[in-house]
Amino acid sequence: MEYRSQKIAYWYFAAALPLFVLQVVVGLWLAASYTFTIPQSIVNVFPFATARAFHTNLLVLWMLLGFMGGTYYIIPEETKSEIYSTNLAWFQLIALLVTGVTALVGFLFGWTQGRPLLEIPMALDFVVVIGALVFLFNVGMTMLKAKNWTAIQGTLLGGLVFLALLYLFGIPFYRNLVIDWYYWWWVIHLWVEGAWELVTAAIFAFVLMKLTGVERQVVEKWLYVEIGLFLFTGLAGTGHHYYWIGAPRYWLWIGGIFSALEPVPILLMVFDTMHHVKERKEKIVNPLTWTYAIGCAVLHFIGAGVWGFLHTLPQINYYTHGSQVTVSHGHLAFFGAYALLNLMTFYYAMPKLKGIAEYDDRRGKIGFWTMCSSMMIMGLTFGVAGVLQSYIERVLGMGYMVAQGYMRLWMGVTMVAGVFFLGGLLTTVVDLFTLRPAKVQT
Amino acid sequence: MTKKTAFRIFLIGTISSAALFLWATYDTQRQVATLSHVDKLSDQVVAGKRAFQKYNCNDCHTILGFGGYYAPDLTKVVQRVGEEGIRYRLKSPELAFADSPRKMPNQHLSDQEIKDLVAFFSWVGEINNNDWPPQDSKKRLSRGEQMMVAKVGVSPGAAVFQTKGCMNCHSLHGTGGTFGPALDKIGASLSAEEIGKYVRNPKGVNPNAKMPSQKDNLSERELDEVASFLATLK
Repeated sequence: MEYRSQKIAYWYFAAALPLFVLQVVVGLWLAASYTFTIPQSIVNVFPFATARAFHTNLLVLWMLLGFMGGTYYIIPEETKSEIYSTNLAWFQLIALLVTGVTALVGFLFGWTQGRPLLEIPMALDFVVVIGALVFLFNVGMTMLKAKNWTAIQGTLLGGLVFLALLYLFGIPFYRNLVIDWYYWWWVIHLWVEGAWELVTAAIFAFVLMKLTGVERQVVEKWLYVEIGLFLFTGLAGTGHHYYWIGAPRYWLWIGGIFSALEPVPILLMVFDTMHHVKERKEKIVNPLTWTYAIGCAVLHFIGAGVWGFLHTLPQINYYTHGSQVTVSHGHLAFFGAYALLNLMTFYYAMPKLKGIAEYDDRRGKIGFWTMCSSMMIMGLTFGVAGVLQSYIERVLGMGYMVAQGYMRLWMGVTMVAGVFFLGGLLTTVVDLFTLRPAKVQT
Repeated sequence: MTKKTAFRIFLIGTISSAALFLWATYDTQRQVATLSHVDKLSDQVVAGKRAFQKYNCNDCHTILGFGGYYAPDLTKVVQRVGEEGIRYRLKSPELAFADSPRKMPNQHLSDQEIKDLVAFFSWVGEINNNDWPPQDSKKRLSRGEQMMVAKVGVSPGAAVFQTKGCMNCHSLHGTGGTFGPALDKIGASLSAEEIGKYVRNPKGVNPNAKMPSQKDNLSERELDEVASFLATLK
């Protein structure tokens, strides 16, 4: 840690981790709801819908906290100055947490906007917007005052502004369901395949540069090409969500072509990560942080790139759209691209924030491999369930519950894998909170 | 490649894709009125949409394929189970899903909300969305039907029964829905003519029938085939 104000990042990370744990616990309940029969009396008070709203909103909340913490950690080192105002950073952390918790408690009592992933009621949306503006102001002022512009800063700020702007499209009530879904994807798709990619590409470039010691000029050159390709494929690639919503037919072409190219920038990211690691100028001090970086690039490619590509062509998507195939892709992609990125940032920053040069990574390694292998299994079992569903329900037309009957076993296996995932996650969280210096080898 | 070239790649990539995307957005806005029949988007339909959101239906059900995957897609629910079927499920889910391994919460909807929801689903079902979902498509499944007849060797009526959604409500040999009666021995009590008459207009035979008329769902040929198939089950 080079700047005092970087310390604020620790509290963002500390807030994010327990929320991640809660997200996974609720996820187990969701898997159990597919595997067992939940009695009517429980369904009446705690429906699947409420639990799902928990699962997805917790995901967004903890990941945004992680990105914000990561941003607050990075900008002092990038701008070579302290954060404009740590008080504002504190205010914004507390505002976001209070809003998040209020929203979750509200869901239990049916206070919801009732749109998947954007369930937060309109009143709370405005608090989120205020929080986002404070965050952007704080980050922007730090950069403006320091005047040490870099491509990493630009990408980070651009991504964050884009992220905040897109959120606005999710706030209004739309009379027409088609228009509703059209702009719903401006938030969901353009977040995860646009704004979030920019933010995480910048964070990733920063960590990679610091870890490997590869020159800034080289790292930033790759960064430009990658975000250029991310946006080229990602913006028009939104079209793969417009095949079956009542939008014009040309979206089948736009969506099909641009999203077929979406794996390209991710593949490029894998190559340049490997390249930087090979050409490193620093020696590997904390191998686990490096493992996270490579794991993130590889699983990002598998989950978002390969799995996304598999069912993005209209001819396939016609049968897999809105099935467990989507769920399989969603889990692998979010875990690979964003959960691992956040955890990589935590493993990079937390030892430094605690003043540990070389940390003991024995528990952390167990956590990493348990999480990654159980998530891969979950991706496969969700996928098997999804293929069964696509074939039995959509191709054979045998009815929704008939298909669900055949899928039940696989949802059960998913639940078991989920238990292992939770074990790996708890190990990781405990490890991050109680990092110890590695014993000097004698 | 210099950093400057890299920056140019970034600019060109972003701007070209954004331009295409924004143009298509403008054009979509223009065409949606026709594709979604905005002239039929009444205040009652919008009230139905509000109810749909108020009770967070969309986090269990998908509609147009988006939402929770825990319950059936609702895009063509009117075509599949009929307005009466929707009303019954909304009013008394604990009865409708008594034998189902998956339950639906009773939201204690008012009669007005139920009417609004039915209006909403009726409007959604007419959206011109490239014939999705496949299981409710009339075009695709008749092909699946022909394949079943040709390859598996079942009678055409059995293929219709399996592929046209009859099994969403009725069961055979324990497979299928529980909303309507099991039909394993229906041929013992009803003839093909009687079944044919019933499926065309259930209320004409029994005023309390919950089953929707299948006249819009199935062609005349399909109705006759399925009736003669059911009459053989004794």
